[in-house]
Amino acid sequence: MSARPRHWIQSLLDSAPAALFAVVLIVFGLWSDRFLTVANLTQILNQSAATAIVATGMTFVLLTAGVDLSVGAVMFVGAGLAGKMALAGQPLALCLCVMAGVGLLIGALNALLITRLKLVAFIATLATLYIGRGTGRWITQTRAINLPDAFLALGSARWLGVPLPLWIAGLVILSAHLVLSNTPFGRQIYALGNNPEAARKAGLRTHQLLAAVYVICGFCAGLGGILALAQLGAVSPKFGELYEFDAITAAVLGGTSLFGGRGRVFPGTVLGAVLLKSIFNGLVIVQADPYLYPLITSGIVFLAVLLDSARQWIRAGS
Amino acid sequence: MSQLTRLRSCLPAAVLGLLLLLLGCDRPTGNGTSGANPPGPATSPGQVTTIGVAFESLMTEFWVAAFDKLKADCAARGITMLEAVADGDTARQFDQVKNFLNRGVDGVIIVPKDGKTVIPMIKACNAAGVPVVLYNRPADPTDARHTAVAPDNVAITKETVTYLVSLARKTGRKQKAMILMGDLSDVNAIGRRDGFEAAIQEAGDAVEVVSRVPTDWNQEKALAGLQSSLQAHPDIGLIFASSDFMFPSIKSVLSSLGRWKKHNEPGHVIVGGFDGDATAYQLLADGYVDATGVQDVYWEAEQALQVILDAKAGKAVPARIDDKGFAITQSNLKELEPRMWGAVVAKKK
Repeated sequence: MSARPRHWIQSLLDSAPAALFAVVLIVFGLWSDRFLTVANLTQILNQSAATAIVATGMTFVLLTAGVDLSVGAVMFVGAGLAGKMALAGQPLALCLCVMAGVGLLIGALNALLITRLKLVAFIATLATLYIGRGTGRWITQTRAINLPDAFLALGSARWLGVPLPLWIAGLVILSAHLVLSNTPFGRQIYALGNNPEAARKAGLRTHQLLAAVYVICGFCAGLGGILALAQLGAVSPKFGELYEFDAITAAVLGGTSLFGGRGRVFPGTVLGAVLLKSIFNGLVIVQADPYLYPLITSGIVFLAVLLDSARQWIRAGS
Repeated sequence: MSQLTRLRSCLPAAVLGLLLLLLGCDRPTGNGTSGANPPGPATSPGQVTTIGVAFESLMTEFWVAAFDKLKADCAARGITMLEAVADGDTARQFDQVKNFLNRGVDGVIIVPKDGKTVIPMIKACNAAGVPVVLYNRPADPTDARHTAVAPDNVAITKETVTYLVSLARKTGRKQKAMILMGDLSDVNAIGRRDGFEAAIQEAGDAVEVVSRVPTDWNQEKALAGLQSSLQAHPDIGLIFASSDFMFPSIKSVLSSLGRWKKHNEPGHVIVGGFDGDATAYQLLADGYVDATGVQDVYWEAEQALQVILDAKAGKAVPARIDDKGFAITQSNLKELEPRMWGAVVAKKK
C-alpha cells in the first residue's frame, strides 16, 4: 500500500471513536427526543465519571503495553473496608482516605510483582484480582452493606450547579492529561511503551516508570470506587465487578493501543467511557429489547479491539 | 541464564499459580471433624455421612443464608459437608462436582448458574449413582434424574406485582411502571419477569410498562438503568426489582430526585421486589417499600437435604418440590414477618 492511502486509512481509524460517538448521539437523538437533552447528557457524564477515572489510570498502564485486571477488585476491597468503617461510626473523610489508600497499596503490590518478581502483568494483576475479590468477600462476609446517607449526599452533591463527581473526574482527567502531554515523566511513559529496550538503553529508569503507572492505576481505581460508592450508597459483593473490562474498553475505544506507546486520556479515554455509558443510556431510553444489550455491548468491545488491531497493522506496514 | 536464576524467576509464578489453584478449590466443613480429613465411604447402605454442596456464588444474602442453613443442618445430623463455590464459572463447578464424586459423597446439592450447563453435572451424578438436588434453580427439561427444590418465581412475583398494581389503582390514575430484570440467562430472572408480565397483563389499563432494564444482577447497572428510565419518564410511579438487593440503587436514585417517600406520604413511588432479604425487611418496616415476594430459604434447604436422605434410604423422591413462597406487604407485614427469612437475619444483626 502506498503512503498516501495508508495515511488516510490511519487518519480514518484514529478518528473512528469520535465518529462512532457522533453516530451514537445522532441515532439515539433521532430515535427519542429525550436523549439529547441537557439533563440526560449531564446524567450520562455523571454516570461515566467513575469509569472515566478508572479508565484514566488504565490508560497509563496500557501506554506501557501492560494491563491491570485488578481495578474492580481494588474498588471492592476499598468499598468493603470503608463500608465497615462507616458503620462503625468512623468519619466519612477517613473512610474515603482508606479507599484511596487501598488503591495505592494494591497498585504498589502490582508494581512489586511486575518490576521486582518479573511476573507478566496479566498474571500478576489476575492474581491480585482474585486476592482482592477474596479479601473483599471476607471483609463483607458477602453481605450487603447499606451505608449512611452521608455517602449518598456526597454522590448527589453539586457545586456551581455541576455534580460533584464531574468536578472530581474533571480534575483527575485534567491532571492526567497534563502529566502525559507536558511532563518528562509522561514522555518517558510513551517511550517505554513504544520500545522498552530502547528506553532502557536511553537511560530511562524503566522499573520506576513501570512501578509508577501501576501505582497511579491503583490510585485511580480507589478514586473511581469512591465515586461509584457515593452514587450507589451500598456495597454489594458484586461491587466493582468487571470494571476492568469497562476501563480497558473505554481506553481502547478512545484510541489507546493495547500494544503500548499510543493513546491519550483526553479526549480519547474520556470519549470511550462516555460512549459506553451513552449506549446503555440510549438503549434504556428507546426501550430496546433487553436481549439486545449484551449483543451490542460485546459488539462494542469487538469493535474496540478490531480498531486497535487495524491501527497497529497499518502502523506496522508503514 | 544459570539454573539458579531460572529457578528464581519461575518461583513467584509457581507460588502464585498455586495460590490461584487453592482459591478455586473446595473445602470441607461439617460435624466438627477436621476439614483436612478426607471423608470415607458411607458406613452402611442408606446412611449419609458426607454430602457435597456446590454453590454457583455467594453473592447475595440469600445465598449466604441458604449456605449457612445447609451447613447447620448437616452439622446437626452429623453429616460432613464438602463446600465449593464456583464464582459463576460453570466449568469450575463441573470440576467441583466431579471432585465430590471422586471423594465418594452420598449426595450432591448444586446451585447452578443456569438450567442448561448443570445437565452434564446431573448426568455425572446419575452415572455415579449419587442422588443430586438442584437448589433454588431448576434445570431445563432433561431425562437426567434429579430433584429440583425451587421457588415458584412466576406465582410469587405475580402475587407481589398484583398487590403493587392494586396500590396503583388506588391512586386513581394510570401509573407508569418499570422492571429491573436480573440476568437473562438465569431461570429465576426469567420466571420473575414472566410473573411481572402476567400481573401487568391482568392489570388492564391500571398501569403501563414504560421500561424493562436488564441488570445482570448488578447494582450499578440497576442504578444507571433506573436513572435513565426516570430521565425518559420522570413520572414513573411503580418500580419492581427482580431482587431485593437492588433496593439500595432505587433508594439512591429516588433520594436524589426527592422521591424516596414512605407509603403514607404524598409523592410515594410504589416499590416492590423479590427475595425477602434483610434490607427488604427493614425498608418494609420503615415504610419505603410496599411489598416483596418471599422465598422460604430455610424450608428449601431442609427439603434439599431431606431429598438426599430419602433417596439414600431408597424412598421415592419427586422430580420437583415447589417453594410456594408468599408476598409480604404493608398490609400483612406483622402477620407474616416471622416467616420472612430476611426478618430473621435482620434481627440477628
